[in-house]
This record gives sequence, structure tokens and C-alpha cells, in this order.
Amino acid sequence: MNVKLLSLALCLGALSPVLHAAQNLESDSRKNGDAVVAVFEPVRQVLQTSSAVMRDGRKDIAYGTVVSADGYILTKASEINGVGSLGVIIEATKYEARVIATDPVWDVALVKVEAQGLQPVVYSTITDVPQGTWVVANGATSLTRRRALAGIISAKAREIPAGGGAALGVVMKEKSKVAEVDSVNDRSGAHEAGIQKGDILMAIDGKKISKSEDIMAALKDKKAGSTVKVTLRRNGKEETLDVRLAVRGDLYEEERTRNDEMSGEYSRRRTGFPRVIQHDILGRKDSVGGPLLDLDGKCVGMNIARADRAQSFAIPAPDLKALAEKMIKDASK
Amino acid sequence: MIRLLLLIASVPLVAAAAPDRPYFNDKKVPDSRKDLDAIQKALATALPKAREATICIEMGEGSGSGVIVSADGLILTAAHVASAANKEMTVVMEDGKRLKAESLGLVSTTDCAMVKITEKGNYPHVEIDRDESTKLGDWVFALGHSGGFDKERGSVVRLGRLVRTADSTIQSDCTLIGGDSGGPLFDMQGRLIGIHSRVGQVLAQNMHVPVKEFLNHWDEMLGGNFVGEGPFAKAPEKGKGFLGLATEARLEGGVRVSKVGRESPAEKAGIVEGDVILKLNGKPLATRDDLQGMLKEMAAGDKLALEMLRNGKPETLVLRLGER
Repeated sequence: MNVKLLSLALCLGALSPVLHAAQNLESDSRKNGDAVVAVFEPVRQVLQTSSAVMRDGRKDIAYGTVVSADGYILTKASEINGVGSLGVIIEATKYEARVIATDPVWDVALVKVEAQGLQPVVYSTITDVPQGTWVVANGATSLTRRRALAGIISAKAREIPAGGGAALGVVMKEKSKVAEVDSVNDRSGAHEAGIQKGDILMAIDGKKISKSEDIMAALKDKKAGSTVKVTLRRNGKEETLDVRLAVRGDLYEEERTRNDEMSGEYSRRRTGFPRVIQHDILGRKDSVGGPLLDLDGKCVGMNIARADRAQSFAIPAPDLKALAEKMIKDASK
Repeated sequence: MIRLLLLIASVPLVAAAAPDRPYFNDKKVPDSRKDLDAIQKALATALPKAREATICIEMGEGSGSGVIVSADGLILTAAHVASAANKEMTVVMEDGKRLKAESLGLVSTTDCAMVKITEKGNYPHVEIDRDESTKLGDWVFALGHSGGFDKERGSVVRLGRLVRTADSTIQSDCTLIGGDSGGPLFDMQGRLIGIHSRVGQVLAQNMHVPVKEFLNHWDEMLGGNFVGEGPFAKAPEKGKGFLGLATEARLEGGVRVSKVGRESPAEKAGIVEGDVILKLNGKPLATRDDLQGMLKEMAAGDKLALEMLRNGKPETLVLRLGER
């Protein structure tokens, strides 16, 4: 559906001869100009104390949301995957961080730093923030100072289905009378669970699998990030494994659409969220993970994906609060 | 020329400000919570009506946006969305209701086009800012079906400022993407001030056609004319129009229809085998070559008025040539 597009005009005014001097608004006064952003100072103060900068060595890779006084932080899991030495900046203090747990459904990681007396975000109780409401998030940041970026809630809250559906991460052998695994994607739940080439799939969550097409049908209503029981036969023996489902589009390179081409950098995982609110803050790919605040400095969500040039997603505050509480509780067991 | 310069002069105190002009537009930047609340309140007030009138235009495998500006379903959109004059398309309303529509005329040089819903109805619509009262730095909002129609999501709203004004283009920092093309840009009272056209490589560069371009070519577009020579739409080529019937000459004049192509414009217009065509657009036909010769001078989308005999009785039919 993305064929009729805005044509990319490479330079302004190239298409029509300019008959009189065009007028430009100075950059300070533009939506994210310094003079405009200054009015959000009270909210920026909250970002200063309750947002975190996630770092890989000296490189900023994402933001985080401070959810407890004693050092628990939530961030976007797929942005910090595989980072050797994860560091965090809160206010102007640098910490070393440990990844405690991840929630693959929401693509959220719980991170811990050794700290006391942090300022956790204050959750808003609004489940469906009205369109047109001002929101503020982290923009560029220095070692000591967070910068505010402003925008508005721009669409209805909703689920974002997994791009291409939920997938085990296996490619099946063609022209086979049975559902035989031909290859396993090494970033997938199938790989984590130890599924191998040559395994014959027999059932998924008790649903009988006799040919490759049955797999799609068995996974049709499943959510990315959830776990299914896969029964398979290997060397004549049956066994059942728990397999995490991934977003198909994350496992296999999607073809980039024209809209992707004009979007700058976007999040690798930008689909498969149970519920999001949408806003128009012009963030970058690495500006997800931090809190989304309203004008009172309350947290209405956590940025979870830069989907494209015009659309950014955040996990709504009530879902975020429940997730934070659950992950912290599980971590302290 | 002088008038234009006056229009873009950003001296709010000299220009007669509309009585309902929001005060925050005359401040360099919002500098208090009160200002932000006022902007937010204006947006929330204008949104419901603006959203109802913002539609998705589906054609073939692509989609764009548009906005309804009259109760009987006249739509303003971009020329590169309509792509041609007199073409059938589908319009999707905010609630998912699908309606038949056809493009009228367009201006291919500046990216303006008109589309008309062909089903009768009383449609939600917005007012056009005919006074062109919007100035550089004014707060504006954009609506559009980014990336295509999504009922769960609805149309997407973006807030920004008017950051550049030039002859036939205005620029805002409302981020646009494919699918938004042809969608509306509003002032904070919900009046239409522009139509989304294109974007620059920089994310904050978003270009719209100002409504004055539409007003300047209003009647030409309403009349179904293709104005200009690109780049936003390609003029139809003569001789590429498609009618879809075979004829044979008659001794007593006119041509007899010997075959009607399946799904052809001729079949859709109701022409059947055995019909006799006497005149095309007022010119008598004597031979098959007459008909071919006249079609050679016409292009897809052109109107044909046929004077015919059916079972000995006179019939008149009007149809448009299709694409070959």
C-alpha cells in the first residue's frame, strides 16, 4: 500500500522558478528549536532525573526509564542485545549496569545499577491519552544534560501486530511428505530451544502438524514473544520443547519500502507490541527506551519504537507500570 | 506580485489579523504553560471535524490522502495522487466506509488535483482559508493516512509550524511520509491551508501546496482539465485511449457495432452489438476510418458523446475513453 508516495524532492524549490525571495523561519523558533524547547524546561528537569542514557562503552545506544529508587531501569531490549559492557548515565553520574531480565513480548529489558535515592518516573493513570496532547521525550544528550524534544499524541492507542506474523525461526524442507526442518535462524527461539536441521515437527501447543502449511495455521493467533510447546521427532524419539516466538520481520530481512528509504534510521524491531500510543516526536533510532512525559512531567509511556519518518510508538503507562512491577518482582525471587 | 509580497510579509501588527486568530501565533515562541495549553486546546477543538473530512484515496496498489471541502463530496488532493484527470478511484472515510469517486482536473506543475465522490451524500467537510491568512511561524497541523489506511489507527495528526513560504510551496515541520500525499494541512482553527506534496531528505523538510494554487485554478480543475506539463502528473497521450469495440460500415451511413470487448469502457457504458453509431461528438461517421481517425486524436479520460440508433430508436450515450 505504499506505492503512491510523496516524491522525494532533493532540493527545495527545484521544481518551480522562484519569483520572489522565499521566507524562512529561523531554526531557533522551529518546533524543536532551542527557543521553543525552552518552554518545556520543567518537563526537561524530570528527564534529567528520571531518564537514563544507555551506553556501549562511550557510545550512546538508547535511553532508559528509571522505575525504582534503588536502581532498576527499563529500556528497549533489542537495542542493548549483545552489548559487552553496558553503562548507564543518570543525571551526570555514570554507572555500570547488569541486564536482569528481558520481556520478549514487549521487547523490554530490566537493567540494574548500584544506586540509592534515584527519582523514578511517576506514572500517569491515563490509558488512552487523547490525540493532540503535548508529550516530551529525550532528544540529544550530553554527559551532564538531557535535551527535551516535544511533539503530540498523534493516533489511536492500539496493538501493533507482528510484521509478517509470529515465527519459530525455522525454514522447512521443500517437497517433503512431513514437516522437516531444513534450517534454523540463529537469532530465533527455535535456535535457543535447540531445534536442529532434520527434526520432524509433530505438534505445536498440541495442534497436530503434518505438513509445513500447518505451522502457519498453528501460529496464526499467537503473539510474538510468547512461548509455544513444540513436539518434534529426532532420531525416532519424540520430545517437546518450549520455543519463544519472534517477529518474522526481525528474523528475515524485510524488503525496504520507499517509506523506509525516506525514514532515516528506524528501530530494527518496530512491530509486535500488545498496545502502543503513537506520537510525532522526531526522535532517532537510538532515542527509544526513555520515558514519554506529559506537561505535568508524568510518565504517559516508554518509547519503544521509531517506526518511520512520521510515526513513533510508546508502551502506555498502565502497561508499563504492570510490566515494571512484574519484572522487578520476578527478579527479587 | 505586490499582493504576494504583502501576503508573506510577516508583520502581524500591520496585517489585519482575523478576529479569531489565535494569540499564540503572534508570539515568537510559546513561553509559558498557558501558551502550550492554548495550542493544545485549539488542536483538540479543531481535530474532530478535520479528521472526519480527511480521507484515504485508493487506486490500484497505491494510496494517498485527500480532504473533503464541500457537502456534496468535492475533494482536494495532490496531482501525483490523482495521477490523471477523469479516473475512477475509491475513497475511504475515517470510519472505513468506502465510496466510489473519480478525479476531475489537476495542475501538474504544482501538484494540485480535485476528486469528486460520485455517490450522493451529505459529507463532512472543512472550510478553506480563502484569505490566505496564515503566516510564517504560525502553528499548523497535518492529517493523513500515513503508509495507507489503518482503521485501528485512524488518520495520523502531526503538529508543527510554518517554516518556509515560497511561491507555490509552503513548508512545515509536520513530518510526512508516503500515503500522506494529498492530505490536508490546517491552521489552528481547522481551516485548510495546504495539501501535502513531497518531502526533502532532511526529516524536518515537509512541503505542501498552498490553497491559493487551488483557488487560482479552481474552475479549470472543476472542468476536468489537465493543466501544465508535469512533473507531478503525466499528460495523457493522444491515440492511447481505449474504447473497446469493433465496427463495420453501413450503406445508409454510420457504423454498426459488431463486437464489444469484455470489461471495456464501451461495455461499461452499455453499448451492445447491433447498435449503430451515427455521430461522435457531433461529427457524422460514414466509415470505420472516420471513427479510428477521431479516436487517434483522443486520449484516455477524454469524453465521447455518441448519437446512436438502437433497434431503430435514437439513443445518446456519454462515456470516457479508458487506458490501453
